Amino acid sequence: MPIKIEYLYHIYDEGLPSQQVALQDINFIFEDHCFTALIGQTGSGKSTLIQHLNGLLIPTSGKIDINSYLIDISLVYKEKKGQKIIDQKAMKKKRKAKLKDIKTLRKKVGIVFQFPEYQLFEDTVIKDVSYGPKNFGLSDDEVLEASKHALDLVGIDKSYYDRTPFALSGGEKRRVAIAGIIAMKPDVLVLDEPTVGLDANGEEKLLNLIENIHKSGTSIILATHNMDVVLKYCQQAIVLDKGKIVKQSTPLELFQDQEFLTHSSLVPPKVFSFALKLKAHGLDIDLSKIKDVDSLASEIMKAKR
Amino acid sequence: MTLTIGKFTPFNTIIHRLDARVKLIGLIIFLVATFLNYGNGYMNLVINGGILVIIIFLSIISKTSFLKLFKSLKAMWMMILLLLILNIFLPSSSTGDFFFIGEVKIYYRTIINVSFILLRLIIVLGETNIFTSTTKPMDMTYALEWLFTPLKWIKVPIHKFSMTISLALRFIPTLAEESERIMKAQASRGVDYKQGKFKDKIKAIISLIIPLFISSLTTSSELTDAMEARGYNPDGKRSRYKLQKWSLKDTIGTLILAIILTAMIILAVYQFDLFAHLGVSLPKL
Repeated sequence: MPIKIEYLYHIYDEGLPSQQVALQDINFIFEDHCFTALIGQTGSGKSTLIQHLNGLLIPTSGKIDINSYLIDISLVYKEKKGQKIIDQKAMKKKRKAKLKDIKTLRKKVGIVFQFPEYQLFEDTVIKDVSYGPKNFGLSDDEVLEASKHALDLVGIDKSYYDRTPFALSGGEKRRVAIAGIIAMKPDVLVLDEPTVGLDANGEEKLLNLIENIHKSGTSIILATHNMDVVLKYCQQAIVLDKGKIVKQSTPLELFQDQEFLTHSSLVPPKVFSFALKLKAHGLDIDLSKIKDVDSLASEIMKAKR
Repeated sequence: MTLTIGKFTPFNTIIHRLDARVKLIGLIIFLVATFLNYGNGYMNLVINGGILVIIIFLSIISKTSFLKLFKSLKAMWMMILLLLILNIFLPSSSTGDFFFIGEVKIYYRTIINVSFILLRLIIVLGETNIFTSTTKPMDMTYALEWLFTPLKWIKVPIHKFSMTISLALRFIPTLAEESERIMKAQASRGVDYKQGKFKDKIKAIISLIIPLFISSLTTSSELTDAMEARGYNPDGKRSRYKLQKWSLKDTIGTLILAIILTAMIILAVYQFDLFAHLGVSLPKL
């Protein structure tokens, strides 16, 4: 399910002294079945961009087409003293207009926010996971099945179903919360730094889970700081800086662009830097195959032979 | 958030720069002046009208939107309607002229009374709106603490109260942010806070309140830990990070306020009737 974004601008507190341009001139297409990384420092506009994807935020101007669900705030002009100027009133009216069938959009695009464990509220795990699908009007049987399937995916077994989510450990809470979104069976799954605050083991488990979901046919958009994750899992990377897209490429291209990396203070994964050095010193390895330590090792072995 | 009345807006006008204590005293003086009784209805009208003009003038220089106040106060209109109905059926005085709508006897006085309450209500809201939207919450608590200093002499623990108030105020934006975050997360799970049946709405609110409650409990326990770790002693002597500076404009502001207060009190005490002095005779109101 492609998501097309055209000329997207978002300005917070427009007209006040605290006015802040959060996003400017974003043009991008998230292709069907993509695994895209959103990279950028804190305050670069990642979260703002994500919230546009299911209509939580309405653009100040611009157009978003989510599989033919259209949020269109394109510029309106009016004549004033022979000059063409932007009709602010008409724009405001457009922004305020109610979105039709917002639920269908919310069902298509599932967003997992940072620290999603804060959204838990029901008294049992299974009830909490069922909350999303229930809201989208599935029958009770379907809801139960979807929830069980989602909990299975995130590795929460039956013995947890009737426990209260608040007594679980941090990692378990997070997985339950993510299951709550997966159970909605969205076509696009957006995750905002899902691994922050997890231990190394939990992080790896979660990322493998995300990869599995991707393989089952869901598009994944992943906001992250972790370049190892970008290299290992993502097909495509977008770098945001001060609300603008400064680079869009494959991770391979991104990490080879030394000039850009130093300029934007991104640090490429150690594995990849090591591979680059090896190649520079004359070892014949295929950089596009380098994903993590294991793949690097096997590439070195291959080159040695 | 839809509720924007009285929210601090960070403009840099002369009213914003004025000392919070002056503004607080000013607010009190204006509130008192609004509710004093100046003899007869016409004098009340003239003086309240004068205050309204001053309030509008102050709103303009402090860049607070006076008109927005009305638009966002839909609940107020309901109250006024209720007030009008109550006053029609239970008139405070059954004298003077009246007219009929159907079977209901309506005194002209009632209508005038209700308009008066309405006028005063608008003035009070305008006054408070100017104060709260030009004064940072922290400055507000300092001003309040300063105002309550006399209570310190009779051993009332003012600084404990003021610490409680400052903490409460400090965490309003945090809680607002938190609730917005939770609302967005739940909206992504298909909750609709605006539409739907009553039962669904209750359920929707529960999905907001429980996480909010849990997170505020966590925040407050973390806060106490952090305060204790930094050696907070509730009985200790407090110093301030930001000192409020008294400047010339504050003195001028205080003088103007003092003049207004004196004038109003004199008018109220002597029941000065401007119209009688001018020789205009008006029907009794």
